[in-house]
Amino acid sequence: MKLLITGASGFVGKYVVAEGLRRGHEIKAVVRPQTDVTRIPWHNHDRLELVRIDLRQEAELTTALAGVDGVIHLAAVKSGDFYDQFAGTVMATESLLAAMKTAAVSRLIAISTFSVYEYQQKRAHSLLDEDSPLVTAERVVNRDEYSQTKLIQEQLYREFEAEGGKVTILRPGMIYGREYLWHALLGAEFGSVLLQIGTRGILPLSYVENCAEAMIITAESETAIGQTLNIVDDHLPTQGKYTQELKKRYPAPKLYYCPWVVMKSIAGFGWWINQTFLKGGAKMPGIVVPAKLHGRFKPLRYTNQRAKTVLNWQPKYSFTASLDRSCGDLELLKV
Amino acid sequence: MTTPLKAGVIGTGVISKEHLSFLATCPHAELVGVCDLSRAAAHYAAQRYGATAAYTDFRQMLTAAKPDVVHILTPPQSHKFIATECLKAGAHVICEKPIAANHQDFEELWALAQECDRHLIEDQNYRFNAPILAIQDLISQGKLGEIKEIEVRMSLALRDGGRFADENLPSPIHKMPAGVIHDLITHLIYLALPYLPSFDHIRATWSNHGGGTLFKYDDLDALVIGGDVHAHFRFSCYTMPETFSFKVRGTAGYAETDLFQPYIRAVYPRGGKQLSPLINHWVNGADLMKASVRNFRNKIMQRTPYEGLKVLLDRTYTALVNGTDLPITYEDMERTSRLIDALVAEENRG
Repeated sequence: MKLLITGASGFVGKYVVAEGLRRGHEIKAVVRPQTDVTRIPWHNHDRLELVRIDLRQEAELTTALAGVDGVIHLAAVKSGDFYDQFAGTVMATESLLAAMKTAAVSRLIAISTFSVYEYQQKRAHSLLDEDSPLVTAERVVNRDEYSQTKLIQEQLYREFEAEGGKVTILRPGMIYGREYLWHALLGAEFGSVLLQIGTRGILPLSYVENCAEAMIITAESETAIGQTLNIVDDHLPTQGKYTQELKKRYPAPKLYYCPWVVMKSIAGFGWWINQTFLKGGAKMPGIVVPAKLHGRFKPLRYTNQRAKTVLNWQPKYSFTASLDRSCGDLELLKV
Repeated sequence: MTTPLKAGVIGTGVISKEHLSFLATCPHAELVGVCDLSRAAAHYAAQRYGATAAYTDFRQMLTAAKPDVVHILTPPQSHKFIATECLKAGAHVICEKPIAANHQDFEELWALAQECDRHLIEDQNYRFNAPILAIQDLISQGKLGEIKEIEVRMSLALRDGGRFADENLPSPIHKMPAGVIHDLITHLIYLALPYLPSFDHIRATWSNHGGGTLFKYDDLDALVIGGDVHAHFRFSCYTMPETFSFKVRGTAGYAETDLFQPYIRAVYPRGGKQLSPLINHWVNGADLMKASVRNFRNKIMQRTPYEGLKVLLDRTYTALVNGTDLPITYEDMERTSRLIDALVAEENRG
C-alpha cells in the first residue's frame, strides 16, 4: 500500500513510519518544512518519500495525496494556547480532509485520544471502552485545550465519514516510549519534582511500538473501516507498578505522593470556592480543576478486546519488555 | 430599551475571543454572524459565543445577516478590501489595528466611510486601560504640569517561539512594511499622540538583531519631536521581562505604568519642597503594594490587559445606539497612520 502519514517526525509518527516500512508499504511522510529528519534512521529509505508541507497548505497537500491508498493522520499540536492548538489540530485536519476529498482518497486512519471521553461523571473503577460517553461540548470547556480541539477534530472525522470517507478512529491511551517515560498520568510536574497522584489506578498505556503496529494493521484492514477502537496494551500496570519498574531502569525525578481521594477532595473544594465565591471566574492550576484531574488520574478499568478482535492484533511487547526496550540501547527505528 | 445593533465578526483568531466575549454579553449588540475561511473555526466561534449563524464567505454574511456593525479581525493586508465591502453594504466598521496597510489606504477608506455615511473605527484599545485613563486624569488636573516627554516601550519575546516565530507557515504579518512590528506599532503610537502636537523631527532605526529572513525587523528605536515635546518609541524582542511601559514627564512631575503588570507611579509636588520626595516615596510604595495584590487577583480571575478593548467597544456601541460622539476620532486614526508611515519611511533613508 501507499500510505501518507502526517506528523511523521513526531514521537509516535517516527515509529509508525518505521513499522509501515517494515511491513513493506510505500510511505509518504509528511513533515513540516523546517524539520530536520537526518537523525531519524529511516529518513533515506528507498520506499520513503518526504513531503515537506504544513498541513494547512491544502493545494500542496492535494498534490501529495496523488496515488495514495490511505492516510494515517497523527499530526496535532499539544502546546500553546487554544488558538495555536485549534490551528494546528482542527484547521490542519480540516485542510487535510478537504484535500483528501479533492484527491479522491477516502481511506483515513484518524488518530484520536482517550481525552475525548467523559471522566468526571464516570464511576471510579468502572470500565472505559469504546461505548463510554464522550465529553459534551458544554462540559469540555472545563478540560484542557487538547481535549477541546481533539473533540472538534473527531466531529470533522464523522462528517468526512458521513460524506463517504472510509474512516477508522483509533483512540490510543497514554502512548509511552523511550522519548516519553515519566508521562502525565503519573503525576503533576513542578520543575524537577513529580507529585504522584495515586498509585493504585490502572494506567491506560500503549507502548509506542505496539501502538504503531496497531495503526499500520488498521490501514491494512478492511474490517476496521467504520470502527472506533481503543488502543491499549495487555496486562496494564498500576501507577505504582509502573513507577517502581521504571525507577529500576531510568533516572527518576524527585517524587512526592498525594493519594487520589485527597487530591480529588482538594480539587472539589477549590471548584466549590470558585463557583460559590468567584462566579467560576478564577483560573486554577490544572490539577485542582476536577474535570482535568479526573481526566488524568481517576482510577478506571480498560480493555483492548474490540481492537484485538477487529484488527486480529496482539500487542507484541509486554509491559516489562516495553520498558526494557525503551531504556536499552537498541535502535528502535531501524528498518 | 433600544433595539440592539446586529453585529458580525470576520476572523476568529486570538483577538476574536475578546470581541466575541464582549458581544455575547453586550445589551446593545446581537451577534448575528461569525465568519472565517475555516468552516470549523467559524462554527466553533458561533457555537461558543451564541452567534445566530456561521459563514465562510463574508459577503454572504453581509447579504444574509445584514449586520449593522462588522468587526474586522483578519490580517492587516485584508482590512481595506473587507472594510470597503462592509461599508458599501451599509455596516459600520470596527477594525483591528493597523486599520490599513498605509496612510493613503486609510484616507481612501475614510472617504468611503463618509460617502456611505457609516462609521469607521480602529481598535486603539490600550487608550482605555485603567492606568492610561488615570494618568490622563493626572495630566488634565495639571499635577504633572505641561507634558514635555513621552516614552513608550514594548518588549515581547516574539523570537522565542509562538505564531510569529513559526518558519513553517510564516504569519502574513511578516509581509507588512515594518514586518512583525507593524502589528504592534499602532499601540505605541496612539498612546503618545495626545501629547505630541506635531511631527517636526523624526528619526527611526529599524533593526533585525536576530538575523534570518523570517523577521524583517525585531527592534525599533525611534524619536519624534513635535514643538518642544519629545516622544521616544522602543520595541525590543530581547529586553525581558515582557513589558508595555508608558511614561510621561511634565514640567512639574512624571507618571509611569506597565500595562502588562499594571501599577502607577506618579511623582509630583506633594506637601512642599522638603516633604515632597518623602511623601512621593511613601505614596508610591503603598500604591505598588496595592498593585501587586490587584495584579495577583487579576491573574487568578483571568483579567487581561485587554480590559481597555471592552471599554472601547462598550463606548462605541453606546455611542452608535445613542448617536453620540465615538471614542476614536478621525484625527486619532489619521495621525496614527501618518506617523507610522513616516517612521517606516525613515527605514528607507539608508
